[in-house]
Amino acid sequence: MLSGDIYLKSLNVFYGPVHAVKGIDLSIEEGKVTTILGANGAGKSSTLKAIVGGVNYTGSIVVGTVPIDGMPVHKRVENGIVLCPEGRGIFYTMTVKENLLAGAYTRKHAKLELAFEIFPVLKERINQIAGTLSGGEQQMLAIARAIMAEPKYLLLDEPSLGLAPVVIEKIAEVIREINKRGITIILVEQNTTLALSLAHKAYILENGRVAAEGKPDELMKSDVIRQKYLGGVRA
Amino acid sequence: MINQILLGLSNGAMYSLVAIGLVMMYKVSGVMNFAYGNMGMFVTYLVWWLTSVIGINLYISIVLGIIFAALMGISVERFGLRPIRHLSHGSMLIVTFGVLMILEGLAVQIWGTEYKAFPELITGTPLVFKGDFGIIVLRRQDLLVFVTLTTISILLLLFTKYTKFGIAVRAVSENEEVAGYMGINVGTVLSFSWAFGVSMAALVGFISAPKVFVSPLMLLFYQIQGFTAAVLGGFETFTGAVFGGLILGVLEKLVESYISEGFKASFSLAIIIVVLILFPKGLFGKTLRRRV
Repeated sequence: MLSGDIYLKSLNVFYGPVHAVKGIDLSIEEGKVTTILGANGAGKSSTLKAIVGGVNYTGSIVVGTVPIDGMPVHKRVENGIVLCPEGRGIFYTMTVKENLLAGAYTRKHAKLELAFEIFPVLKERINQIAGTLSGGEQQMLAIARAIMAEPKYLLLDEPSLGLAPVVIEKIAEVIREINKRGITIILVEQNTTLALSLAHKAYILENGRVAAEGKPDELMKSDVIRQKYLGGVRA
Repeated sequence: MINQILLGLSNGAMYSLVAIGLVMMYKVSGVMNFAYGNMGMFVTYLVWWLTSVIGINLYISIVLGIIFAALMGISVERFGLRPIRHLSHGSMLIVTFGVLMILEGLAVQIWGTEYKAFPELITGTPLVFKGDFGIIVLRRQDLLVFVTLTTISILLLLFTKYTKFGIAVRAVSENEEVAGYMGINVGTVLSFSWAFGVSMAALVGFISAPKVFVSPLMLLFYQIQGFTAAVLGGFETFTGAVFGGLILGVLEKLVESYISEGFKASFSLAIIIVVLILFPKGLFGKTLRRRV
């Protein structure tokens, strides 16, 4: 199992001719919530996918003191780096329980109780087909499934996407709860209010480059940053 | 009538076996394997050669054949298809066509075009039941097919429902990218699906060979009927493949006995067109409503 802070060093991600992430440097502190903000196509999801090994990249990713660049996705998951992908990506035709078991694939024993502790609603629906859950429940299942892999680093890609405000509030609580258990969180969000309320540190990406970084309250003090990147969010 | 249905079920069970293998490869790797029948044919030749020419015990040869089939499936997927996975399904389809032709050519080159007799897997007098319903004759060969299909269906059900790797197979077939993020080694699952699929083709080869003889085109008919059975069943589920095959077998036999043998193939294909128009997802395809 890896431990320590995560460092991205001049990370580049290409999709054919498209240069999605252009040499960014990020440092993610262990045990904290780091958020990556930015508009559509700024390179946020690509950055997360690079950390988990789901896309080819150049540059280097170091966890603690260990470079993980040659490591395939399943090895990274075994080592505690787990992505909860955008659009939930739950297995629609499988039951809630089977989804959770799939999440625990790299672990000897599936700790279902852990998921039910954080998401009691899933326990009631354990044998329900996942595709028939509500949107909020599906998102909870997606996070619960990622938790089943017993991550040290949990990468959340737009967990609030398409959810009602009440549900988003619930998701925020869950993220805090997970972080309290000592899991490092990297949160990609378009909902800046939510992300900044949770994060210890924020990066703002623009066109594949880091446009600004700092503590959320520092970022919000700057009028320019607030107007330009944070959609006029008030501190 | 009952005898006809039994015979139909026996043929149908073979189609089901073919369909199960096709569906497994299609579900997981997304490729319709056109070389399927010929891969089974090649392995059947090999087993014939091992047992009739070299003189190895038939059942040991069959075990060796299944191992060879699995390795052949793994190699074709690993070296022929995986390098071009990112291109398109069309290009992978072309590769399976290539494999089809290579294997056919190889078989002709090595073993010639003469039909070879394959030993019976099971011998003995047919079982005869008499009663109010008349006389029912059950050939041992039919019994073998039923037992094989039932065993494989049950094992497959238990495997995909209750084992960790079985759940991983379903996860990959539903969403390969996300399954990878769960730490599932997608490559291993792809290899497995092809090992399993080609083993099924080989199995169908061994069971049918005593009847149809070993020849380069021996499994062509089964490949087509298995494909039809899979379409009938929706191409998505193993249950669909099993029942699709059985239904096709019975329909075909009834048409053959009560209308005309000449109609057999065309009539069952016509039924399939009708079924597909009325039930585009097959008889057993699930239409799942997804909430957003």
